Amino acid sequence: MGQSASALSPGRLKALALALWGVALLQSALSGRLDLLLRAVFHPLVWGSGILLLLLAAVEISGRWSDGSRASGRWTSLLSIGAALAVLALPPRPSFADLAANRQANLLEEPGLSFVLPPAQRSLTDWVRLLRAEPDPRLYAGDPVRISGFVLPMPGEEPHLARLLVRCCLVDAVPVGLPVRWPAGQPQPRADQWLRLEGVMVSETVGERQRSVVDARLVEPIPRPRQPLEP
Amino acid sequence: MIAVERLATTWALFQALLVEAMPFLLIGVALSTLARWISPGGKWVRDLPAHPLLGPLSGAALGFALPACECGNVPMARHLLVKGAPIATALGFLFAAPVLNPIVLASTWAAFPDQPWLLAARPLGALLIAVCLATLLRLLPERELLQPALLEERRLSQPLGEVTLLERRSGLIGVPAGAAVPALGGSSRRPPLGQVLSHGGSEFLELALLLVMGCAIAALVQTVVPRQWLIAVGGTPTLSILSLMLLSLVVSVCSSVDAFLALGFAAQVTPGAVLAFLLLGPVMDLKLVGLFGILLRPRAILLTAGAASLVVLLIGQWVNLLLL
Repeated sequence: MGQSASALSPGRLKALALALWGVALLQSALSGRLDLLLRAVFHPLVWGSGILLLLLAAVEISGRWSDGSRASGRWTSLLSIGAALAVLALPPRPSFADLAANRQANLLEEPGLSFVLPPAQRSLTDWVRLLRAEPDPRLYAGDPVRISGFVLPMPGEEPHLARLLVRCCLVDAVPVGLPVRWPAGQPQPRADQWLRLEGVMVSETVGERQRSVVDARLVEPIPRPRQPLEP
Repeated sequence: MIAVERLATTWALFQALLVEAMPFLLIGVALSTLARWISPGGKWVRDLPAHPLLGPLSGAALGFALPACECGNVPMARHLLVKGAPIATALGFLFAAPVLNPIVLASTWAAFPDQPWLLAARPLGALLIAVCLATLLRLLPERELLQPALLEERRLSQPLGEVTLLERRSGLIGVPAGAAVPALGGSSRRPPLGQVLSHGGSEFLELALLLVMGCAIAALVQTVVPRQWLIAVGGTPTLSILSLMLLSLVVSVCSSVDAFLALGFAAQVTPGAVLAFLLLGPVMDLKLVGLFGILLRPRAILLTAGAASLVVLLIGQWVNLLLL
């Protein structure tokens, strides 16, 4: 009885809460979750914070210093432990298509291309930036296209292949997509599915406007890339 | 099926906000812990100017010495208040320092290098908001402004000429000092490093819990309210300001990166709206509401939100009048 009371002493609960937050941050970095949540430039901050929290937990475990100042300490620790355990146990599995549907698609700033890659080496984002800088479809007709992205359903037309661009974290992600002419006789791809496409760029008329469309010849399902967010 | 996907996306947004903000919160706690260790009595804090104008300005200037975004700012502002800093100075720091620090100014410049007016207007606007809010909030008596626990700690650092023993409620009369306030209290002797770190750990856990709450609310609102609604009225001067103010409240991104987010829609909205987005977010957003709860009473938080929104709206309108 006395032992269990000591195991749940405020100091130990606090040490456990600090350690769990530290582990949650480090585990996010080690397991690759951060690649899904945050731009790489911020990852060192998360690493550093995880290590610092483990050090604070170690100070607490040494048990020589008690901060008995806060009456709510035990509840704070218990709730913190619960929240940290939830973060540890439930990995983020966002639906990119669902997220993109809630964001305006044309929020990309004016592009600043420093050079243009050969067509077959351009990523989906490179293509979108190039088409915004110089939208004339005749310039790209017949160019080979090799891109990957997730399937983004579009109201009133066939699904696009898209990527999410982030400045900081998933919260500010905005979608960029390319219209695709999917191969005939094949089932429509499902939303959020990651695909690799090979094909050529063609021109098509929508209303009174000409636009570039990827004429897909090869469609291959792929797993979600390790770093699905692009800067 | 859609509901499950929506829930999964909300959870991911929550985690993204949390792992982005938590390191900045920890930096703020580390700074206040360091300050507590280096200057345990915090006498210099009480010597800061209490003048209605000089107070907020000197508090804002502290942002250059203690760079942190709005999350990291809360523990530092709490430290200032506990150590007996004049209210106007501490509030000036709380509201202006998230913008007036080198990191945020550099990121604003990086995002808008061709908009010199914005580089000047953002810090000036932040100063104006801080002065207005500090002037307004210091009209409230301290017991109606500050959280009781914070007020109790603050009383111990204030000279007896300003606070009576009864108001202190601890020490010679009232509850025993150790039970109501931290052992670190108002002593000017440097405490052992381990003790200061332990106090920092407690402070972090308390604030982290409030941050979790704020991130959960922000993630939920972001998933439920389509962002298109918030910026659909970009072209109209007043509505565009109001909609971007609402967006800054909801999105809750850190002030060190919000300029990059604003860059994304700068072309679709009025200049006053972009400035309003960059000014309001660092002072008030959904993620901050919980954290402010450790400093201010609910009425003071409501007053802050209302007054900050009004000042930002007026600044945005004025900029639109000048530039459109």
